[in-house]
Amino acid sequence: MTGPRSLVRRLAAGDRTAYWFVLPYAVFFCAFVAYPLVFSFILVFHRWNVVTPMEWIGLKNFDRLIGDGLFYRSLLNTLTFLVIHIPLQAAVALGLALLLNTAIRGRGFFRAIYFLPVVVSGVAVTILWQQLYSYDNGVLNAILRAAGLGRVPWLVDPSMAMPSIAIMATWKNVGIYIVLFLVGLQNIPRELYEAAALDGARPAAQFRHITLPMLNPTIVVIIVLSTIGGFSLFIEPYVLTGGGPMQSTLSGMLYIYNQAFSFDHMGYAATLGFVYALVILAVVMLQRRVIDTELTP
Amino acid sequence: MDVTRTLVRGAVIACAALGLACGPRPGTGPANGAGITLTYWPAPNPQEIQLADTLVRIWNTLHPEIHVDMQPIPVSISTEEVLLAAIAGKTTPDVCSNIWPGALHDYTQAGGLVRLDAFPDFDSVMAARTPRELLEQFRAGDGHFYEVPWKTNPVMMIYNRRLLREAGVDTVPATYGAYLAAGARVAAHAYPQGAGSVWMGERDVRPLWWQKFFDFFPFYIAASGGKTLFTGGKATFDDSSAAEVMGFFRDCYARGYFPRTFFPGHDPFLLEEKATHFSGPWEVASIRKFAPQMDFGVAPIPVPDGHRGPVYTYGDYKNISIFSTTAHRREAWEFVKFLVEARHDLLLLRICDQIPVRGDLLDNPLFARYFQENPPMVAFARQAVYTRNMDNVPDMKEILDAIAQEYESCAVYGRVPPAVAVRDAVRRTNLIMEWDK
Repeated sequence: MTGPRSLVRRLAAGDRTAYWFVLPYAVFFCAFVAYPLVFSFILVFHRWNVVTPMEWIGLKNFDRLIGDGLFYRSLLNTLTFLVIHIPLQAAVALGLALLLNTAIRGRGFFRAIYFLPVVVSGVAVTILWQQLYSYDNGVLNAILRAAGLGRVPWLVDPSMAMPSIAIMATWKNVGIYIVLFLVGLQNIPRELYEAAALDGARPAAQFRHITLPMLNPTIVVIIVLSTIGGFSLFIEPYVLTGGGPMQSTLSGMLYIYNQAFSFDHMGYAATLGFVYALVILAVVMLQRRVIDTELTP
Repeated sequence: MDVTRTLVRGAVIACAALGLACGPRPGTGPANGAGITLTYWPAPNPQEIQLADTLVRIWNTLHPEIHVDMQPIPVSISTEEVLLAAIAGKTTPDVCSNIWPGALHDYTQAGGLVRLDAFPDFDSVMAARTPRELLEQFRAGDGHFYEVPWKTNPVMMIYNRRLLREAGVDTVPATYGAYLAAGARVAAHAYPQGAGSVWMGERDVRPLWWQKFFDFFPFYIAASGGKTLFTGGKATFDDSSAAEVMGFFRDCYARGYFPRTFFPGHDPFLLEEKATHFSGPWEVASIRKFAPQMDFGVAPIPVPDGHRGPVYTYGDYKNISIFSTTAHRREAWEFVKFLVEARHDLLLLRICDQIPVRGDLLDNPLFARYFQENPPMVAFARQAVYTRNMDNVPDMKEILDAIAQEYESCAVYGRVPPAVAVRDAVRRTNLIMEWDK
């Protein structure tokens, strides 16, 4: 019989084979998770531009952060993105999952098509959308003009740029959430629908009183994943807008990247990173509390 | 134990393979056991690689005892990032010819560069090639020289003669007033109904720090009669010249002469969709290659109405330095001197269409034939002596980013008055400078 006790006994007995199996991941974890985390924490109290020796500056990085308008702006932009992106992502994914869960022809084909953007490189997708969104010679505005409508300043108007990026991010990521919803839908017992139908419940009532409540765990997962993913917003504004127009798409990750790799402020970037991590933690905990209160039957 | 043995064996094989992969490559060592090998990094664009290849071949033929290996700078977002990483990792070459003066402060602070004025013949070599006024711009904060000024790409106005002519513009606009008047004519001619695809000019509207090399920074140098952003290490651009520059670009956007967009994947100037373009001499080669039919001219960038005196601009210099990791300083210096010989400056012109930092470009008979065959380059050569360098202060990229943010708010979107935009840019610049103390 093998089990934790057996493993502990074998280890205690001096059989070190298990260590070899653990070693690759332990090395990976130390090199790419633990060491960067500890090093970043040390950086928080230093000024360092990679080439010169680190200089201890105490809490000066936090002092700068408190007075840094761009930090607050990037935080606000990221939250704006989340407010648009999460409901849009969840609604579109749920709608498509409901369609794909019915017995339509070519269901497998459509599932593959919707998942395709997930596996395509983020940069490639962003360049594709750059061509679609271009104000003067973009495909979307060409269609609008051909239809006799005015052009939309997708990426060049400060109030339009972040919603445009949210639409693009939804298109890119919706496939993975469709799969999650499909798993959730297929786990709902058919008997519930049959019983509801016998009681005279129409499809809309079945959706409201059976499907949605039964999908609650999936919705929670999707909201948490979308939130964490949304806080990582980087490629889209980096390639599409550079953070403009008027800093309206300067996301938290883009600002950290600029500080670290454009301006070589590694200490300040590490400080921003830690503060963002705390913000993400707070938002996710708040979400969990709200979801537990609102969605738990 | 079998599993343990297998894992240990696998690890040994993996280490051996890694060692082979990371070991010296054939051809990178000295030409012979007794010789010296220098590594030389040129810029990674095709023209400069071709030039470097030609020069290194000549050198290696003439100096078999000092072999030079040419390796283009590894491609990245910017050369500066690669060089900083190389300094940090102590993997710098002996010589590099793509040193941006704006990053010199970081390199010298890290002790990455060799002091060139320590070589006894530095002054005589420089005096024979570069005017003193130009050379002085490259003196580092500690009073020494760490770079040889090699080439300059003065930012000028390249204009499409056909588009201006068709719009009824007979004189090349030299002032803001003339430029805006020409813009009105181009707009009226190109899109009388209000929305068209020909513009008087265009700038990338994204707030990218390096884009300021082609709008605010050269225009400020021109408007101020040759000033740069800092004097004595202090930001001094909170003045009327900076506000005039912001106001000029604001007018260009507000009146619809510049599009509030960017053109991913295509160059509107090469497609003859804009009448003027602010760029350096490398643009001439692009026009010849991609738009050979274009009838174009080159002129200084516009200045405020009533401006007097020569029109200065940003020189966009790229220089040569020796890295302190070199084990052969004297030989590296000999190679640097070889790179800046007059006949090799001619190769720089012929192969790259870039301007050597020389005082005798238009007088030396060696270059006469090149300029006869390439008339547009004469304007760049004339402009070369009226250029300014990037300020040698820390965090120049973030300072340019701060200006880019204010430029976007004021000029592109018209949300902030020019004087306020300039004041805010200076305020943020001072914060950045304060942070660096």
